[in-house]
Amino acid sequence: MRPGNLGANVTLFGRRLRGRGLLVGAAEIGDALRALTAVDIADREEVRAALRTVFTSSAPDLPVFEEEFRRFCAEAAGADAPPLPSAEDDGAQGPEGAAGDTERAELSVTEWSGDEPAPDDERSVPAYSPAEVRARKDFSAFSADDLTAISQLIMLIARRIATRLSRRMRSARRGTLVDLRRTMRRSLQFGGDAVELLWRRRRVRKSKLVLLCDVSGSMDIYSRFLVQFVYALQDALGRVESFLFSTSLTRVTDALDRRDIQSALAEASRRVPDWSGGTKIGASLKTFNERYGARLLDPRTIVVICSDGWDTGDLEILVDAMRALRARAGKVIWLNPLLGSPGYEPVTQGMSAALPYVDVFASAHSVRSLRELERHLRGPRPSPRARAALRASDAGGHGS
Amino acid sequence: MASAPRPATFGGIPQILDVLKEQGYIADRALATSVHLSIVLNKPLLIEGEAGVGKTEVAKVMARALGTDLIRLQCYEGLDVHTALYEWNYQRQMLRIKLEEASLRPVEDKEHVIFSEPFLLKRPLLQAITAERAPVLLIDEVDRADEEFEAFLLEVLSDFQVSIPEIGTITARQIPYVVLTSNRTRELSDALRRRCLYLWIDYPSFEKELRIVHSKVPAINDRLAEQICAFMQLVRTVPLSKVPGIAETLDWSAALLALHREHLDAQAVEETLGCLCKDQEDLVRVRAQYLAPIVDAVRTAGPATDGWNPERIASLAAQLPKPR
Repeated sequence: MRPGNLGANVTLFGRRLRGRGLLVGAAEIGDALRALTAVDIADREEVRAALRTVFTSSAPDLPVFEEEFRRFCAEAAGADAPPLPSAEDDGAQGPEGAAGDTERAELSVTEWSGDEPAPDDERSVPAYSPAEVRARKDFSAFSADDLTAISQLIMLIARRIATRLSRRMRSARRGTLVDLRRTMRRSLQFGGDAVELLWRRRRVRKSKLVLLCDVSGSMDIYSRFLVQFVYALQDALGRVESFLFSTSLTRVTDALDRRDIQSALAEASRRVPDWSGGTKIGASLKTFNERYGARLLDPRTIVVICSDGWDTGDLEILVDAMRALRARAGKVIWLNPLLGSPGYEPVTQGMSAALPYVDVFASAHSVRSLRELERHLRGPRPSPRARAALRASDAGGHGS
Repeated sequence: MASAPRPATFGGIPQILDVLKEQGYIADRALATSVHLSIVLNKPLLIEGEAGVGKTEVAKVMARALGTDLIRLQCYEGLDVHTALYEWNYQRQMLRIKLEEASLRPVEDKEHVIFSEPFLLKRPLLQAITAERAPVLLIDEVDRADEEFEAFLLEVLSDFQVSIPEIGTITARQIPYVVLTSNRTRELSDALRRRCLYLWIDYPSFEKELRIVHSKVPAINDRLAEQICAFMQLVRTVPLSKVPGIAETLDWSAALLALHREHLDAQAVEETLGCLCKDQEDLVRVRAQYLAPIVDAVRTAGPATDGWNPERIASLAAQLPKPR
């Protein structure tokens, strides 16, 4: 920090942080200036702590801040003004190292937050490697008619999913709990006797949905359909997290957030490096549990996995991952498009290994089967007996 | 909006450090600086970090440093305005209505009486707003509350006023000092984040944890304390669903002390592993894969004359078995 022109420096620093995606605006810059009047400005550690407190607002911001702060101090030191007393050696970096540093910082941010694995893959893995087939397909080649029909249906389904009972109350004519506040008020008319009871009712509340879609080679013919499924749910509900996987897991919630479906699909296609590669279901689910499990899974979460269960990875990993997933989530639904083909039995090793941890096992090969899926997305986890019955009826029913 | 003049007695960062020390909380200057800024800028302080790193303690320290009350609002899923803000005292209202049954006062008057402030049960948010002296308001585990409640909270934190239909708008006499904590089980809204100053509390370094163990479990010998802390640093590098925090370190230290252990060995760890791993699968995994290698690493590395610096921990952690 150049002591000469504090205001300009802090503004510049704040703008840079905003450029890196931190929540910094004029208000924060004002706060930063006030903060610097409240600490010992000659003490670099205190200045750093103060600016960090004001300018950062979540954990993934921290490495970005540290990186930019170092860079800023280094630049200040390189300029005419004398440097601040340096509390650590890494403060002295030439500006020419900045670009590489930025990249490294971005990498460390992604590792740290576990949020955005995609850009990493994008950079470090060539598009056509012999070991892993990363052939890219153009998602936007879908026919507009199909898309509309399916999307409309999915919207319907999604809205049904979106309701679940909650503890939050709303006044109602008939309800489950007495609304004391309103009852008391009404009772004044009758001299204080609660002649009429007024009720409140549980208010509906959205449940969370986590979608994990297999887009590997064996699922290729269904994957377009499934991505649409993911997209439509994403669009109709606020709280959907979507992931695609084959040999690795990619979070596509943000990509699918776009209003325009064409660009959304193009974006998702760009992000998934191994569309039509092999499948490592276990490893992908494990990655999901580790990176996102704690934040996304709770008893209100319904996890929907769309895959045929052809796992080329280690079965034990799959079993462990499924067990962990089921322990945390409210309900696990496995959609297997092959279940719709006549005579199919869930005999692939991966599928039979995963089945004990699945609450609902259903097909997803057609619009009709998706409609049937709707009933599974309601209510809490069924009892073990009900689950067995469901599974039997599903497995048998779709053969015809 | 009322402004909150700082108490004349407040002594800034040095005083916060003193209070931290008094409370047995080993703190760094960064933490003290954040607390100080939250006080002087009068902005809420959002504290994030894994469970068990001492986030809630910070609010207590702040209240102590300011010599004021601490009002706590514990958040949970389904927390609503009735529980957080106010509720009417129905029993008392009922009683008053009965007492006035015979009186000829018009209904409007009676109504006015029973919906007045004496019949109001103040919940934490209203308590904080109506306090004579600015208190510290701790909104604990805000990530557990619903998004709707978060929006309501944001409104309260912006204006420090609430409206109660029967009474009118109540504006804060003094702006409370607000501390929010979150375990990051859910992402908070950007709006709330922008409203707040931010502090991240990480798991303690080896040195800091060692000081904590010595200060909270004074009877423990140096070698065992060092080994415990080294073990903790390493066990936190392996993938667990519930990573042990400081509370676990202290429980474990006390347990080993009670068993009269002088140093760590595989058997001692085995017997007391329940203090560290509160999750059955973690327990099984640590026992099967990590217990022996970590104990070996801790023992062969011996007493740390040069301290267990992060590089040393990282290099030892790299030698642990890879997760399957």
